[in-house]
Amino acid sequence: MSTTRAMAILLAKELRLEFRTRELLSATIVFALVIVVLFSFAFDPTAAESRRYGPGLLWIAFLFAGSLMLNPSFAREQTNDTLDALRMAPISAFAILSAKMLANFIFMSLVELVLVPVFSVLYNVSLTGVAGRLILVLVLGTIGLTVTGTVFSAISSHARMRELLLPLLLLPILTPLLIGAVEATASLLVDQPELDRTWVALLAGFDIVFLTASWLLCDYLIEE
Amino acid sequence: MKNFQYLFTAWMVVWAVFFVYELSIAQRLSRLRDDIEGLKRQLREK
Amino acid sequence: MKGRIASTVFVAALIFFAGYAALFIAPDEKTMHAIQRIFYFHLPSWIAMFTAFSVVFVANIAYLATRKEKWDALGVAGAEAGVVCCTIGLATGPLWARPVWGIWWTWDARLTTTFILWLLYLSYLLLRGLLDDPEKKATLSAIFGIFAFLDVPLVYVSNRLWRTQHPQPVILGGNDSGLDPTMSKVLLLCVIAVMGVMIIVLLDRYRLERLRHEFEELRQEIETRSLAPSSILEKESA
Repeated sequence: MSTTRAMAILLAKELRLEFRTRELLSATIVFALVIVVLFSFAFDPTAAESRRYGPGLLWIAFLFAGSLMLNPSFAREQTNDTLDALRMAPISAFAILSAKMLANFIFMSLVELVLVPVFSVLYNVSLTGVAGRLILVLVLGTIGLTVTGTVFSAISSHARMRELLLPLLLLPILTPLLIGAVEATASLLVDQPELDRTWVALLAGFDIVFLTASWLLCDYLIEE
Repeated sequence: MKNFQYLFTAWMVVWAVFFVYELSIAQRLSRLRDDIEGLKRQLREK
Repeated sequence: MKGRIASTVFVAALIFFAGYAALFIAPDEKTMHAIQRIFYFHLPSWIAMFTAFSVVFVANIAYLATRKEKWDALGVAGAEAGVVCCTIGLATGPLWARPVWGIWWTWDARLTTTFILWLLYLSYLLLRGLLDDPEKKATLSAIFGIFAFLDVPLVYVSNRLWRTQHPQPVILGGNDSGLDPTMSKVLLLCVIAVMGVMIIVLLDRYRLERLRHEFEELRQEIETRSLAPSSILEKESA
């Protein structure tokens, strides 16, 4: 079976699985909301402070919520050994991995779709005029998050304490992405918004490096 | 020499860290060697 | 065994002489005076750390390519040696910052990068600790190790870009401006000394890991033999 066809079928399966109950999505959205709200209690920011720390808060919420959301990606394959069944099918390891990455990307994007407007309302940050560029930053950041996160979900699914291990592995790796995403978002939320190209390049570079690494190493990742 | 205590502490830290680490390895190494000898003896007896 | 003793003595002598040179022979620096001498340990520990992590990277790739256990042993040895060097770098940083700037820590590019690398390779070691099956442990940590090393330049670049936008007290401001020839010689000596110690420590850890593997194999051998009495009879009659 061709890789694209396998990917499409597996992606459909992942999406169907999630949309049957939508429990992962709703839990993640609520968790991200909790972080955003907690911030206002912990720091009680003024309008100027919200503007300044907002981008950081937003991306911290996405990273933390994401690390929890990415866990079940491979963890749920452990029960009933469904990953073995996938391996025995005539599909490439890359198809399996990239289907999950794509599914996680879609889920994470849905979470962000809800969170960003809520954030802009709660902290009085205007998004008019920068929506398109903001979406670009969000997409690039989410790609990096879901690519590395899915790979590490596969890794940690074999280990003990996987709920703690995944964030522990993921968050240090993501610091360049965090810096780039926060700075790029911040450059869009000022009075004279201008998307800083350096940060976009950093994000794109991050995505390319880890997408390539995942592609090269996928066989070892998914193997027995 | 000004700030000598900081300088000396730093110098001590560098070598102390390496030394402690090396010591722990050496300990484990000798213990393992003994354990391996024990196992080899067991195998020969069988 | 003799070679080990000789090299240990040689490195110990190097350490002593390098320390002496750094503390007393090197000329005093203009603005920071004596405390600047920490630089002679700080920079070499960074170089040693980076070398150790490069060894880990090579070992990880080699393991995935060959599946030979010795590469896995080299990987963990390099990671631990690197973390040790990193700890030294993180410990000497504040010892420099405190007398010069009055603060224990600053989030300047270099210190922040070192801290993140420390966390990264600590996670590598933690991952190994949480995986039980030896082959899985080797394979999965190799994959993570490769990702971690690929992240290193990204961490470095992102912190540089970020911190030049928000200027911070630069700890190593002195060394970029043309180094005095005596200083360069002392620095070289210290680099050799620290690298020498790191390599000795790495090789010992490697040896330890390989011995552990041998121990496990022997243990397995004994278990299988005690479960199959017929094979023991065969051995006796042979």
